[in-house]
Amino acid sequence: MKLLSAQNITYSINENKLFHNLSFEINAGEGLHIKGGNGSGKSTLLRIIMGITSPSKGLIETYDQDLNISYLGHKNAIKNYLSPLENLKLLFNDAELKIALKWLGKFGLLDVQDELTAGLSFGQQKKLALIRVFTKSSELIVLDEPLVGLDKTTAELFSGFLIQKLSEGVGLILTSHIDPMINCKVLNLGGKNAEAS
Amino acid sequence: MLRLVKAESFKLSKKLKSWLGPLLIMVLVLIAFPLSIDISQFDLDKFYFSIIIVSLLMTSFVATEGMFEEDFEDGSLEQEFLIEKDFYKLVLSKIFVYVCLIGIPIAFIGALFSFANGVAIGSFAKVFLLLSLSNLLLFNLFAFGNALSINKGAMLGVLSSLPLALPVIILLGTAVRSIQFGDGFAAIITLMIGVGLVMSAIMPLIISAALKTHID
Repeated sequence: MKLLSAQNITYSINENKLFHNLSFEINAGEGLHIKGGNGSGKSTLLRIIMGITSPSKGLIETYDQDLNISYLGHKNAIKNYLSPLENLKLLFNDAELKIALKWLGKFGLLDVQDELTAGLSFGQQKKLALIRVFTKSSELIVLDEPLVGLDKTTAELFSGFLIQKLSEGVGLILTSHIDPMINCKVLNLGGKNAEAS
Repeated sequence: MLRLVKAESFKLSKKLKSWLGPLLIMVLVLIAFPLSIDISQFDLDKFYFSIIIVSLLMTSFVATEGMFEEDFEDGSLEQEFLIEKDFYKLVLSKIFVYVCLIGIPIAFIGALFSFANGVAIGSFAKVFLLLSLSNLLLFNLFAFGNALSINKGAMLGVLSSLPLALPVIILLGTAVRSIQFGDGFAAIITLMIGVGLVMSAIMPLIISAALKTHID
């Protein structure tokens, strides 16, 4: 089942084309790893896919108008003046909160659940932000550099989670400079520091 | 909608500086201003309303300063966009919560101080209603200003929307005179309720569009 297709997507800043005529599709249970050097437009492409940013040309077509997307970008969308537990209560209903608390335990954050989030390390804050993606049921998961700041154990846990979600038929689009250790299509946007793929 | 109202209430209640600050400023100005001038109680009765109006303007200004900035900075606006596809409900909820948790207490303080300074007890409810409605209008206007310049320091946008608040001040002044002379108060309150309802319905649409432009 097709979830989303991109047709001839072009994005320009002033006269400079960041990327040009990109076309791809995402089906249920399929992953897309967007690669590229710094400034090649990976994050912008993700934002275009989600409808946050408008492309200069081209069309993003979702096959379900109410496609349920989980997204984690560069910004964690967590409140520093609240505790991790309060952040989760803000996001989830009672049933979801139970799942979220399990992840809080798996990530080793139970000890700090009542402390201010502002006092947590970057990695701990990232884990807290990831719980949103792990808990919410969605048809498409979109992640922008999700592995940055994560320790090896959490990164493995994270990869395992993504593999499980792919097997359940959830679509996945991610950008990452670190190998996410999952089997998925690759889209290379190039850029000055891009790796060959 | 209820989810947003609950979330915004919880967030604002946890930000002590954001809701207590404006209330303390209101109290401080209302106490400090009369103390700073040598004036008899009789004269104070005549223009104490003006002090209340200026304090109201100032506290509304301060209260709305960071209304959308935090959500913009931490990425919450993007998350909300993915859920609702626009910000209409978010803006509506925010303004509602800010008016309830800051605007109405400010109006109560204003009414209390006007009573303490010689306004008749019969006028207390009128003053409270008047100040509450004024806060609804001012919070809508300043929220718009806040949304306009969210990525350039929200205070700049709030300042730029200050001229829009002048008609509200003029209306408030007219309403105060009507309370003092006992004439035409109902007409002015009806006008303010009407403007408040229209503004509460339309302003979130405009603010939503401004916020979308900023995250684009």
